[in-house]
Amino acid sequence: MSELDDLYQSVILDHNRAPRNFRKLEGATNHAEGRNPLCGDQFDVWLKLDGDVISEVAFLGQGCAISKASASMMTQAVKGKTVGEARALFDKFHEVVTGTGRPGALPSKLEVFRGVSAFPIRVKCATLSWHALKSALETMDTK
Amino acid sequence: YVMRWDWEALVAYEQGLIAEATRQIGQVPGVRIMGEGADRVSVLSFMLEGIHPHDAGTVLDTLGVAVRAGHHCAQPLMRRFGITATLRASFGAYNTHDEVGALVAGLARVRKVLG
Repeated sequence: MSELDDLYQSVILDHNRAPRNFRKLEGATNHAEGRNPLCGDQFDVWLKLDGDVISEVAFLGQGCAISKASASMMTQAVKGKTVGEARALFDKFHEVVTGTGRPGALPSKLEVFRGVSAFPIRVKCATLSWHALKSALETMDTK
Repeated sequence: YVMRWDWEALVAYEQGLIAEATRQIGQVPGVRIMGEGADRVSVLSFMLEGIHPHDAGTVLDTLGVAVRAGHHCAQPLMRRFGITATLRASFGAYNTHDEVGALVAGLARVRKVLG
């Protein structure tokens, strides 16, 4: 069925099986944990900020395919971006997965998550690591 | 409403469903059934190797099969088993044996979609 095909596109399945930047980041300047108590999905997100730029980003954790693929693609999307650009990306991503964002608002790679909007219960899966990113940008943590 | 039912017949029917489900699902490759006590209610908690219960639950949802996925508010038990989530199918007296088959067929589709 097409909504399922839209949700589980091959790039999402690929990022679930082989998540990128899937490691602890030594020398991180920022860190936050995202945890969904309703289901047990849990991710740690580490950042290295060089001034205003996210020079490095990595994550570890466990969760469903949507949450892990989203975390993986998030790290690719925000690396090299400024804090302001990353925050704007979070807002746009949230709009897209909740079905309110307009087409073309996101980089094409992240557009694959538009399919989540047909399955409202999975929105929290897709946004978990992004919320952790947002938290990490708001703290200075040398863990 | 419930008191009008033949209780023994109801329980026997549900026991038949859960026995059938346990047998069929136990034969699905990569399945791990959680909890195999002899004395049980008509609930089956299980996992599919390499596939998170949320993802399986979404695929089954699109096939009209409703299961629960997650920790079922039993986090201490999950920790005891060293896991985080399972799929859980519950059978009531309103379920049919055909529906057991639909669940099993759904699991094959889950494997096909999610690998």
